[in-house]
Amino acid sequence: MLRNNSVKAIAQSQRIVKRPFVVAAAANALLGSFEFYKNIDLATKMDKGQLHYEDANAQFNKKRTDQPFFTRGEPEYPGHVPLYLHEKLLMFLGSSLGAYLHPERNEFIVALGESAAVTPVLRSIQTTMLNDPVGRQILRERPRMTSTSLDLDHLRALPSNSIGGTYVSWLDRENCSPDTRVPVRYIDNEELAYIYQRYRECHDFYHAITGLPITIEGEIAVKVFEFMNIGMPMSGLGSLFAPLRLKKSQKKRLYDVYYPWAF
Amino acid sequence: MLSRSIRYFSNSAIRAATQVAPPTLQDVVIIGGGPAGLSLLATLKNSPKTKHLNCTLIEGGSLDKVREFATNPPQEYTNRCVSITPKTIDYMKHKIGSWDFIHEDRIKEYQGIIAYDGQDADSRVEFDVNSIGKDNLAAMCENINIQASLLAKVESLGLEDTTTIKDNTKVVDIINPLTPDLENHDLNEIDEVPGTGKLDWPIIKLSTGESIQTRLLVGCDGYNSPVRKYAQIESRGWQYNTFGVVATVKLQYEDFRSVGWQRFLTTGPLAILPLSEDNATIVWSSTPELSEILVKVNKDIFPRLVTAAMVLEETDLKYIYGLLKENPDDLSAVEEIEWRMSKVPEVVLEERYPAAIVSVLDGSRARFPLKLSHADTYVAPRVALVGDAAHTIHPLAGQGLNMGQSDVIHLVEALEKGIDRGLDLGSTLVLESYVSNAWPANHAMLGICDKMHKLFSTDFYPLVLARGLGMKTVNFLSPVKDMMMKSISL
Repeated sequence: MLRNNSVKAIAQSQRIVKRPFVVAAAANALLGSFEFYKNIDLATKMDKGQLHYEDANAQFNKKRTDQPFFTRGEPEYPGHVPLYLHEKLLMFLGSSLGAYLHPERNEFIVALGESAAVTPVLRSIQTTMLNDPVGRQILRERPRMTSTSLDLDHLRALPSNSIGGTYVSWLDRENCSPDTRVPVRYIDNEELAYIYQRYRECHDFYHAITGLPITIEGEIAVKVFEFMNIGMPMSGLGSLFAPLRLKKSQKKRLYDVYYPWAF
Repeated sequence: MLSRSIRYFSNSAIRAATQVAPPTLQDVVIIGGGPAGLSLLATLKNSPKTKHLNCTLIEGGSLDKVREFATNPPQEYTNRCVSITPKTIDYMKHKIGSWDFIHEDRIKEYQGIIAYDGQDADSRVEFDVNSIGKDNLAAMCENINIQASLLAKVESLGLEDTTTIKDNTKVVDIINPLTPDLENHDLNEIDEVPGTGKLDWPIIKLSTGESIQTRLLVGCDGYNSPVRKYAQIESRGWQYNTFGVVATVKLQYEDFRSVGWQRFLTTGPLAILPLSEDNATIVWSSTPELSEILVKVNKDIFPRLVTAAMVLEETDLKYIYGLLKENPDDLSAVEEIEWRMSKVPEVVLEERYPAAIVSVLDGSRARFPLKLSHADTYVAPRVALVGDAAHTIHPLAGQGLNMGQSDVIHLVEALEKGIDRGLDLGSTLVLESYVSNAWPANHAMLGICDKMHKLFSTDFYPLVLARGLGMKTVNFLSPVKDMMMKSISL
């Protein structure tokens, strides 16, 4: 009580006024920048030696010192979209959620596949292919499977116990075309991108060989088969999480029949 | 009386006819005329304290090629080259004095070394001598160039009465007179020499029939040293089960970077070391199977193979070795190489990899087995070991000959001290200081090179990651690199 009185007395006698400075300083900086930015800009330029000299050397230096902090990589093959790490991560999270909730929509499955196919996995597949003469031939010749590159009529003429015959009869049965495979966009190395593209195009082969239809169960069974054979992480994730949305009877069929068969 | 005297006379005549000449006495006998032996002879004769010693050098092969090299060196580089450190060059300039006689135009001084991992080309250590302020990191020199300069130095000193070089002379036997082998040797050889009492000096019997008895016997006779066996010194180590393949090659262009390159493949390190202009020498340590392929492969494919081996992944290389094993002239291997090399961008190829190799010198490809060995000690009474007789090392760090040179300097220092103190040069009292100066440092270097070899021979992923991290860290820490470079500089 006594102290408060004395403080008040001092305040009154000396007339100390507390000034709020934060808001004022911010306002000063903001409004002042409209007024003084030109000077500051010119001063920076003079410091960098860009103000009074304009020649080839200055241009060169500007190119070297004025680089933006983050530059996106160059596309390595037509259609390549280089992504930053955080973008890849977001794509992975978003597409995994989307693929779980809406597996019928293709974009989610595609994006999940590409973001989950990390470089070590693709490199080990590349090593396996390079160690095998047929694998090397594939990597060198880069065959693609589209409705134009495959001669479907010729394949139809082949006997039904050949791969070609089975493949075409499966395509006709399920009313599919080999063109439905989306081109790879987010994988960073050109050879690894081809490997992933090849994997995608071979997906229908696995359907044909195993005879599984394009129902949700069929797809999951093919995914498990693919994972055990090739090791693509997306197939593994699909095998783990996709059955959780299914009806009990479907789950039962998957776990009791298809999974053990695939393993 | 007469008959007895006649018998005596005839007996002595017979004895005289069958008597073997008593051995010549020498102070130092050096067995082996390689760089180690010749270095030792030259240093002994160059040093004012030891030049009075009676020295003999015995070499089983011919030194004519060496003499011819001194006067008339061949146009092309020979395939055995070594990297000599500035310390060694300094010894050659001052303590040995042979640098005046070396063919300097055949020496290439280089300023750096770039060593990178076989599994990940980003894990590299780049040494650059400019950061310690010196001009040269090391110099590439042919073995025979060094030998020729040493021989020329010895011959130029003009101390013929105390220097003998016997080439084309093999050592038949070395006898320790204290344990005479009476079944095989004449009693006369171990008789006491008049005036000096019984000697424990080793007797060396030569293929010419002579024998020499010496105060100090120095073995510079290579890995299977008979001198070491005579001294009963055990040498411990192991065979690496790899072969070093050497060759002289021509690069696509003279590489201004002037560095030595080394890639640590799992089969063994491949090093490309620069020689003058656009020449280079390669040392490829490889498994026995691979070394056979390399020596047999077509001479047009070999350069492409070496270039590929510095750049491509090991899976590709394994596939290519497989092709070339079936058929050493298989040109599809070249196509495979071209295809896989096209995956590496041009810019990267120019900046981060050595210049491409375009041709290999005919007949320059050779292979030799690699092993680690270290003698338990370098001295025994009246015996010293120098060079490969004492230690053999993996060539990945290029230290073998340099260790031999430092051995020579330490031995001569020990002998000089012995002379100063008036001691018997063959006694271990004099020789022990050589061991204590040379043995630990050599052992450390042998150990380091062995562990490096073992570390880089694996492709176990966690270990690859760990060593990659280690290399990148060392590359980042310039003080560490500077320290490593200073240890081989003056």
